[in-house]
Parts: sequence; structure tokens; C-alpha cells
Amino acid sequence: MKLIKAIVRPNKVEDVKSALEKLQISGMTITEVRGHGKQKGHTAIYRGQEYNVSLLPKMEIEVVVHDAMVEETIRAMIGAARTGEIGDGRVFVVPVTETYRIRTGEREVV
Amino acid sequence: MSDPRVAPHVTQWQATARERICRAQDELATAAARGEGGREALRLYADAMDEVVEQLYAHASIGSASERPDPIASSEWVGVFALGGYGRRQLWLHSDVDLLVVFADPIGAAGQRFLQAFFNPLWDLGLTVGHHVRELKDASASIEDNPEFLLALTDARAVAGSAALLDRFAHANDGRAAARTLSALKSLIEERHARFNDTLYQLEPDVKDAPGGLRDLFAAFTVARLSDPTLLGQGGAGLKALHDAEEFLFRVRSILHLESKRNANVLTHELQERAAERLGYPGATARQRVERLMSAYFRHARAVDRSLRWVLRASPLPIGTNLVQGPDGVRFVDVGDAANRPDTWLALFDAAVDRGAPVAGEALAMVAEHAPRFSPETFLPTAAHRAALVAFLTPRPGLYARLSEMHDCGLLGQLFPEFKAITSRVVRDFYHKYTVDEHTLLTIRNIERLLDPASPRRRFAPILGELDAPQLLVLALLYHDVGKWRDDDHHIESCRMAQQMISRLELSDDAGAMVEFLVLHHLKMSLAAFRRDTEDPEVVRQFADIVGVEERLKMLCLMTLADVEAVSPESLTNWKEELLWRLYVDTYNRLTLSYGDEVIDERESRVDEIIAGRPADLAADETRRFLEGLPRRYLRLFARQDVYHHVRLARDVGANGIGAWIQPKAEAVELTVLTRDRPYLFSNISGLLSSYGMDILRGFAFTKPDGLVLDMFAFHDAERFLELNPGSDEQLLRAVEDAIVGRLDVDKRLRGREEGAFRRALPRMAPVVHCDNDSSRRYTIVEIVADDAHGLLYRMSRTMSELGCEVDLVLIATEGRRAVDVFHLTREAQKLTAAQQEELTATLQRVLEGRS
Repeated sequence: MKLIKAIVRPNKVEDVKSALEKLQISGMTITEVRGHGKQKGHTAIYRGQEYNVSLLPKMEIEVVVHDAMVEETIRAMIGAARTGEIGDGRVFVVPVTETYRIRTGEREVV
Repeated sequence: MSDPRVAPHVTQWQATARERICRAQDELATAAARGEGGREALRLYADAMDEVVEQLYAHASIGSASERPDPIASSEWVGVFALGGYGRRQLWLHSDVDLLVVFADPIGAAGQRFLQAFFNPLWDLGLTVGHHVRELKDASASIEDNPEFLLALTDARAVAGSAALLDRFAHANDGRAAARTLSALKSLIEERHARFNDTLYQLEPDVKDAPGGLRDLFAAFTVARLSDPTLLGQGGAGLKALHDAEEFLFRVRSILHLESKRNANVLTHELQERAAERLGYPGATARQRVERLMSAYFRHARAVDRSLRWVLRASPLPIGTNLVQGPDGVRFVDVGDAANRPDTWLALFDAAVDRGAPVAGEALAMVAEHAPRFSPETFLPTAAHRAALVAFLTPRPGLYARLSEMHDCGLLGQLFPEFKAITSRVVRDFYHKYTVDEHTLLTIRNIERLLDPASPRRRFAPILGELDAPQLLVLALLYHDVGKWRDDDHHIESCRMAQQMISRLELSDDAGAMVEFLVLHHLKMSLAAFRRDTEDPEVVRQFADIVGVEERLKMLCLMTLADVEAVSPESLTNWKEELLWRLYVDTYNRLTLSYGDEVIDERESRVDEIIAGRPADLAADETRRFLEGLPRRYLRLFARQDVYHHVRLARDVGANGIGAWIQPKAEAVELTVLTRDRPYLFSNISGLLSSYGMDILRGFAFTKPDGLVLDMFAFHDAERFLELNPGSDEQLLRAVEDAIVGRLDVDKRLRGREEGAFRRALPRMAPVVHCDNDSSRRYTIVEIVADDAHGLLYRMSRTMSELGCEVDLVLIATEGRRAVDVFHLTREAQKLTAAQQEELTATLQRVLEGRS
């Protein structure tokens, strides 16, 4: 299994969710995050005074999928989150070796 | 010499009156001799005096009737009132008869005639008359200047003529009268007690003035009446002991007047023997009888003293008409009276907010009990009441708590009937944690919390301080969710319900439009900030189009912040706050920096509307030509009628012509000038206004490609030049023309005033000057934030002109003590180069810091 983390624009969350739901992926974690990649933010000016906006608001969507679903999931995420402009975000794929169910303590080796 | 017109009446009347007074005095003397000159005997004498005064009033009125300007209103023109002891119906044999005569209008000849006919016979009767004659318009001054008169008024009682004049006279001053009366009373008590070395144990006491005497007794009753009528029953010597003391002191004083045959109030050793005898104190010797009398005197004086000390210590503080603040909060003095006057209830809550205190439970219970008895309009019967309700909503600490109390006791729903629709309303969704009414009130708490210097949302706090009418934000918040009584499109229903309120409260067109806008669009900013890509300039442009002008943006931003935060404790994350802030900044910048690039498109619907609705004297082409080339912002700032006015003035502006007019508005005066562009135009107009002491609050300058300039300045006439000088509008307009064409040296006019201003106000914050060559395609934008100062706008714009800059567009704003001004400049029809920007920035910094 793989943990797929997508950092996307805030306004693209609903689109990504819909795309994943079409793949029957309904379990996901969504977190408000701030950061920057190559986009690096910028300096904004308010009433003649500069302030730094280098950490940009983004949303992080995390799903765990079977290996067979990884490619399709990534394609769906990218397709839904892409605008073609700088700042569209990033997808990370991380191997998952084992999981635990907190309610029962049950361990699942994958 | 007697007046032939009144003499026959007076002669007849005097005989009757003399007989009546003598009979009453004999009766009082007889009672006093028996030791029974107490409250009942005194009242009978006062009643007799009333009869005499009433008859005399009638005769004096007849005598002066022919000279009065308006005989129809004769019953309302004058009133006669008893003051002091006579007002309390406690008149001793030789007491002064204190009278107040109040005229509704200036006294005039008829009034003089009346006074002569009224007072002369009274003096002829041998009475000692203390008289005060006042015109209604002098009420405030006479009350302010004379503490003893203020105190005497507390016992005033209508005897003859218009009783209503007393209410009007006593209430001519504001609600602080009770506080001033108490303050005056305390000072008088201290002074009087000091004369007696602050002890009641005098061997020969003055039964009127000494500590524990009659004045102290009346003082105790007065303090209680003005602050808490139940107070005397709660502590001190208790009510019964106080009433016993009163009767005792009355009887003793009656004996003193009888024995001394004058207004003497000292219980001398000699008079103690007479009094003891007349009051029937037992004892074989005079000394024994006197000892018993004086023992009784000191017992009663101690009771009075204890009660007075108690009420002075425990009395709540009077803070308004029929309002006091005690340990339990703000409440009505006379709850019974307040229960029948729902128009006074808002003042209760307003005073509580002002004092930072709760409303006392007793007052809340009264409001809760009686609120349903009244129809909504009875709470706000006049325009002043309706304005007070809107003003009450100004964000300040304690507003949420008081609104919650008003809601709990049913008053909020009476003042705003639409709010009842969401009382305890539950709407199930994934986000909201509170009922709709509580969510609404929490939004107001969130606004209020921005005033706290420790607010975690402190970067939004300055926006609140910059609002022209923050009370409208709270009003819009109150209504933003009232439409949730329905399950769909609540913002539309909320807006419909808000329109009812706007009409009922008779808000001005501008205020009503602002509230409607906020309620209808209250979801738009959160939608754009949280659901759209605010990095996309198109998203910002669309949102800027919705809000249109900065004031609406600021209001909507704070509304959104407060609304999201009131959904649940977790709803406004730092992340969301950041998104909201960025959308605010980007939109603000777009509205103030980029608008010069967007000129009116003749195809847009607003242009069609203006042309379709034009009056007959304006041609379609002429109107269209006028609009052509103006920034689109112009359409958002001016109503249609203003546009038509501008078109007419533009028609009259020839090559050198100037069209200018002054328009008083609710909170500022507006000067609009239409003319051809010329050097120093903007700085000369702003400088001229400053030279007249005008405080420029906000304004705009637009330059059309054909060189026509439209400048509008909203200013506060701080020195009341326009108000105090008839015809000064015309004078100012002539001076504007002279300044524009160079016939008047603005710099010289302004110099003396500016020097004074510089001496008075040193800069408190370093000015910010920022040049921006990126935000606009056509202009270099100079944004200046500095402490507001007299002539500031003139100095800045003149500096720009001196450096060869053409000032094409200007936005002027004064936000609290800060001036926030944005200039759109070119130099030789181009944006400024980097070197030119540097020179301009450095020069402006020097000017703003007063270094050049």
C-alpha cells in the first residue's frame, strides 16, 4: 500500500475529492497547511508597507491506496488540481508497511 | 401707582386673599401653640397658600391677556411652581414662599404685565416671597449655574398655569441632572456641617441647618428619591424613626416661628423651655422638661444623621434620567414610571454599555414583564429614538453582553421584530455549533473583541477604527441570518427582512444601501477567499467589482471574519484568517491602485441606465460624452442625480470656466469642482479649504483624457465658518475660483495657520511614502500614510506639482488620526522613472516630517 499526499491549491480540494470519490476512494485526511515550493511566495504591499507572504496557504490531502490503485489515484489528483500555473502543488508517494486500527489495536501488515 | 386695568380685580382679590391667609396662619399658630404644628398643620397652610396663588394667577392672566401674542395658547404660556418647603407642602408661619415662574417664550410686555400683577399683591400681603423667573430657553443655563436652585427644583410642584412647563424646564438639561443635583447636594451638606463643626450635639441647635436637622432630613429623602427610593427602608435609622423625627422637628420649628414671630430656627435655651412646655414634656421643673425635650431632640437628630450617612454611603450613582448605577448594575430609579415608558428602555442598556456594567436584574425583570404589552413603534416613537438605536450598535466593549440581555428579556425582538424569527432557531449542518440567534450575537462579540489590544486578530482591528459608520456593520450582522427561518437562500430573505427594518428606522439612502449590500453579500467574501484561487487576479477583480469601494470592502471583510469565527471555536483557523487577509489586501490594492486603468465602457449596463433615466434637459450624446474616459470607479461613487448635475456643470465649463458647488451632507460638507486641468489645481483647492479651517475627511479627483477635471472634497467645517457666516457658501465658492485661477495666494493664506498647526502637533508616527510603478499601466502610484495634520494634503500635492508631476487621480481618506492618500501621477505623460520616484519620495518624506 502507498500513502499519497497531495499539496494542492485550497480551491481545488473539492475537485480532488470528487475525482477520488469516482475511484471509490472515500477515506481521506484533509489538512490546512502553509508552505512554498518553487513558487516561493511574494512580497505584498498594504498601504505602502511591505509584508511577507512567503508561506502560501495550501491544502494537504492524504489517502492510503493499494499499490494497484496508485497510478490511477495520482492521475486523478493531478487532473483535478492542475491549472497550469506556478503554485499548483505537489504529490508525494510514500510506502506503507504496516497499519494499526486504534479502536481494536489490530495490526495489519501490508 | 396702581394700574387701572388690574386695580379693580386686585382690590377685591386682596381683601379675600388677606382674609384667607390670615385665617390659615391663625389655624397654624393655634396648632403650633398646642404643640401640634406638624406635617398636617403645615400642609393645610400650604394648601391655603395654593388657593391664593391660583386666584392671583387667574387675575394676573386676565390682566395681561390682551397683550399676549397668541391668546389661543394662553393656557400654555406660563406656569407657576412652588419650590423648596412650599413645594413639599411644608410651609411654616414665617417661611419664605418660594415660587418659580416659567415662561414658554421670551417674556415680553405681556409677561412683564403678568409678573407685576402677580407678585405685587403677594408682597402687599406681607409674605416673604422668594421668586425665580425664567424663560424655557434659559433652563439649562439656570440649572448649570446654581446648585441651590437645582436642588430646589427637586421639590418643585405645579400650582397654577401650565404644569407641562415644569417637565420641559426640568428636562431641558440632559440626563445628568440627577447626578449634578446629588453632587450639589453633597457639597452643600459638607459646607453646612462644617459650620457646625460636624457635630449634631449643639446645646442650642439650629433645627433647620444643624447636622441632624430638617435640611439633613430633606437631604436624606432627596438622595433616596434620586437614586433608590427603597434605600431608606434598607438601612440607617429606618423609615419609621425618620418619620417620627420629621414630625418632631416640624412641631419644634412651628413653635420657634410662633414664639419668635419670625423665621428663626435656633432652639435657644429660652425657647427650649417654651417648646418643652408646649410639647407637653413632663417634669416638675423647667429644667427637667427641657432635658426631656433635648433628649428627644438628640434622639431624633441622631436618627436623621444615621439615615443621611447611610443613603450617602449606599446610594447608587445617578447616570441618566431615571437611571442609576448600583452594585448590581444599572437600573431605573422609578421602575413603575419606566414600566409605562418603553421609549426609555434603550437608554438603560446604552448607559450600561457606557458604564461597563450589567443591567440590574430588577430592571431586566421589569422589561421582560412589560415588553410584550407594547407594539414595536412605541419603543421608537421619534426620529431621535430611531437614531439612538442605530448609534447604540456602535461596537464597544459590553455591547454583546447587553444585546444578549436585551434578547433574553424580549426587548431585542421588539426593537427588531425580524430577529424573533431566529430565536432559538436550529439549523443542522456540519459546521454551526450554536442556534442562529446566538451565532448572530457572537458575530457582534467578535467585532467587539477586535477593540481589545490583545486580540489575536489584531491586524484587522485598524480596519474597524477606519469605518465611517461601524454601527451599520453591527446592524448588518444582526440581520445577516434572520432569513434562516427559511431553509433556502437565506441571504435573499435576510435582505428582504433588512429592507423592512431600513424603512422602519428611516435610515438614510447611503446607510440603507450599505446594510442591504452587506446582508445580501455576506457570503461572498468567504466564498472567494476559501473556495476560489485568490492568487488569480481575475478572482480578485471579480470580487473587487462586487464590493466596488473601500468602505464596503472593509465592512464585508470584518463581517466575514466575525461570521466565520462565530460558527464554532475552531472555524476561523489561522489559515483561513490568512486567506481572508490576503484577499482583503489584494482587493484593497486593486480598488485604490489599479482603478485608473479601467475606464467606463459605454456598453455597460449602468451607462445605459443613466442615459435612459436622464432628465429632459440632457441629451444622450452629451451624457455619454461626459462619462467617456472617466474611471469606472466614478459610477460607483456617484448616484444618478449627481451624474446629471455633473453633466450640466460640464456643459457650462468653457475653456477657462469653473463649475463649483457646496452641498451639506449628514456628517460632512461636500465641495465639488469641475474645471479644465491646470497646474497646482488640486493643491490650490485643498490648500484653500485648509486655510478656512476645513478638515478634509475624504475626496476624489478624476481627470478625463480631454482635460476635464472633477474634484470632490468632503470636509468637516471644524470652525463652523459656513454655519456662523450667512452667505459664506458663496464667499467660499468665489475664493475657490480665485484660488484656481491664481487671483488668490493660497500659500500665503495658509502659512500662518500651518505654522500654528506644526507647533501644536508633532508627528506621532513616521510617514510612509511608497511609489508603485507596477499596479497601473498608465500611472505611477504614490501611496502616503501619515498622521493627519492641517494642510497636509496641500503640502503633498504642491510638492508633486513642484516636481513636475501631473496629478490625474486622487483618493483621499482620513482614518482616525491617519491620512491615507493615494495619488496617480504622470510626468510629461509618462510614468515616473526610478530616479524621479526616488526624488519624489525623498522630498515628500522631508515635507511630511516638517524638514522643509
